Amino acid sequence: MMPMSRHIPEAHLALFITGDLGMWKYVQINLHIAGCEVCRARIEAYRMSRQRLKQAAAELPEGTDWDRLAAEMTANIRVGLAAGECVARVSNSPWKAVGRKASGWKTAGWTTSGWKNMAAWSAIAAGVALVLSAAWALNLPASDGDTLARVMHSLFQGGAQGRSGAARSSSSVEDRGPVVEASAEGVELRRNGIAVSIPQAASRPVAITVSAPGSASARYVDDDTGQMTISSVYVQ
Amino acid sequence: MFNSAQFALLPVLAAGVLSAQALHTNIDLPKDGPVALVSYDSGDSKGTPRGAAYLVDFHATLSLRNSSSKRIRSVTLLVQDQETKASVSVPSLDVAPGDTFPLRINQTLFGSPSVEVQLDGVLFEDLSFYGPDKLHLQYNMTVWELEARQDRKFYKSLLEVSGGQALRNSMIDSLARQVPQPNVRMARGRATTAEPGQDMQFAFLRLPDSPLDFSAGQAKVSANEADTPSFTVHNVSKRPVRHLEIGWILKDQAGLEFLAALLPADLNLAPGQSGQVTEDASLRFQGQGAIQSMKGFISSAEFADGSYWIPSRKQLEDPELRMVVAPSPEEQRLSSIYKKKGLDALIEELKKF
Repeated sequence: MMPMSRHIPEAHLALFITGDLGMWKYVQINLHIAGCEVCRARIEAYRMSRQRLKQAAAELPEGTDWDRLAAEMTANIRVGLAAGECVARVSNSPWKAVGRKASGWKTAGWTTSGWKNMAAWSAIAAGVALVLSAAWALNLPASDGDTLARVMHSLFQGGAQGRSGAARSSSSVEDRGPVVEASAEGVELRRNGIAVSIPQAASRPVAITVSAPGSASARYVDDDTGQMTISSVYVQ
Repeated sequence: MFNSAQFALLPVLAAGVLSAQALHTNIDLPKDGPVALVSYDSGDSKGTPRGAAYLVDFHATLSLRNSSSKRIRSVTLLVQDQETKASVSVPSLDVAPGDTFPLRINQTLFGSPSVEVQLDGVLFEDLSFYGPDKLHLQYNMTVWELEARQDRKFYKSLLEVSGGQALRNSMIDSLARQVPQPNVRMARGRATTAEPGQDMQFAFLRLPDSPLDFSAGQAKVSANEADTPSFTVHNVSKRPVRHLEIGWILKDQAGLEFLAALLPADLNLAPGQSGQVTEDASLRFQGQGAIQSMKGFISSAEFADGSYWIPSRKQLEDPELRMVVAPSPEEQRLSSIYKKKGLDALIEELKKF
């Protein structure tokens, strides 16, 4: 747990705003800012700066790939963080001792117990791999997780669709970032492969609208009250 | 960041987080505001971990009281978490001071398991407005109310002059116009890896009495995708115009025409002055083949003095608009009452206000 007396590092704040932190750190920072006015204010400042940057991006020369630039900047922050953690680990150097212990333990195991112990070691290794995989998945940033999900989905669905011209055309709008979609089913916001929709308990919209500033709206008539409800999602 | 003991405990902690799926909801209505919360039921709302964030299914029913001294016509709530912004608007209300009314929210959000609901706007009978209007929906709420008044007046008059059968026929006609539209996707921003496209000119539907006219309009079109629509508009009225909304109609190769998007724009146009409306947006539809043609029309406008222009029902009877533009929210609500409860229920509804 992050103590209140210690504030969140700038780099983590930046990754928190962009949703590029793993779940553990995400939860940790959320808990921290619930009680830390300073970090909450810094996060708000970051968020506003990000909004201003987005607006400024609209002024950039035609052909500038803002999303790519943003992705590169995020990647650079992550590389910096990883490098910092590596340096910290080397200076503490707990790895040498562990390595020596492991080496001796492994030799003893093979020579004294032979094949009989192999199944047990395999089970332990599989368990460790499972725990590490779970930990890795929990710490995977949202965007990476979404990309992985998309890749897995396309692998399971087969690559034929992805190679067709129609599929290329359908991705070209989504490649620009968040997309709002309106259809006979309702409206949804698609971001990083995640679709955020407006479910209306089995009823279909009576009309849908897409608006150029980046919103999609669906009109529903409530079966019980007879009220008209207009639900909208927005590209932020 | 973690020591090895913490790392080993991670799955246990994660399991704890995964099972803690209760939502934290904050309903923020101003204490001195025109609506007060009477009751709140979050029903089967839940948050489900998805990767590093939460997918939140938010289903809530609020009971609100009109704590103002004026009749309420429309309410908008902003529903958001850290990553997603959505809204719920209820037009065509007629809530007297002191009366309560229900408001249902069905929304999926993606981000944190913490949902914030804020009052964004309230429109009153005299068209005055209360609220921060962060979503810029005051314009839409006012247009919905003006359309509702126009429609209710039309149906009341139809009933009075031509009788119940004429009202029934008009409802059947309205329901026939409410057909599903093709899927449309919209993204913001300029094309960075644009496929080769060509400039396509808009044709224009000119509605009599419209305060604005078009002199040019084009978009870059590639197959079923259109980019960066741009219009030159001219104020032909005698009053300055400060806001307008353009309807963007697409026609596919099978001849299907539909209203693909609305383009709202703030601009200050004095009488006789021209201005440019350009949107850095990209639109794609799932129709039959490529875009064959495009049309634009002025769907509504606001004058600098705060008054509005909307097309009359007669103008909306234009054959080119009739099957393309959906009926107003109020007409859809009334036709739904007719469809579910019959003509007598509709007549009773029209007598209410």
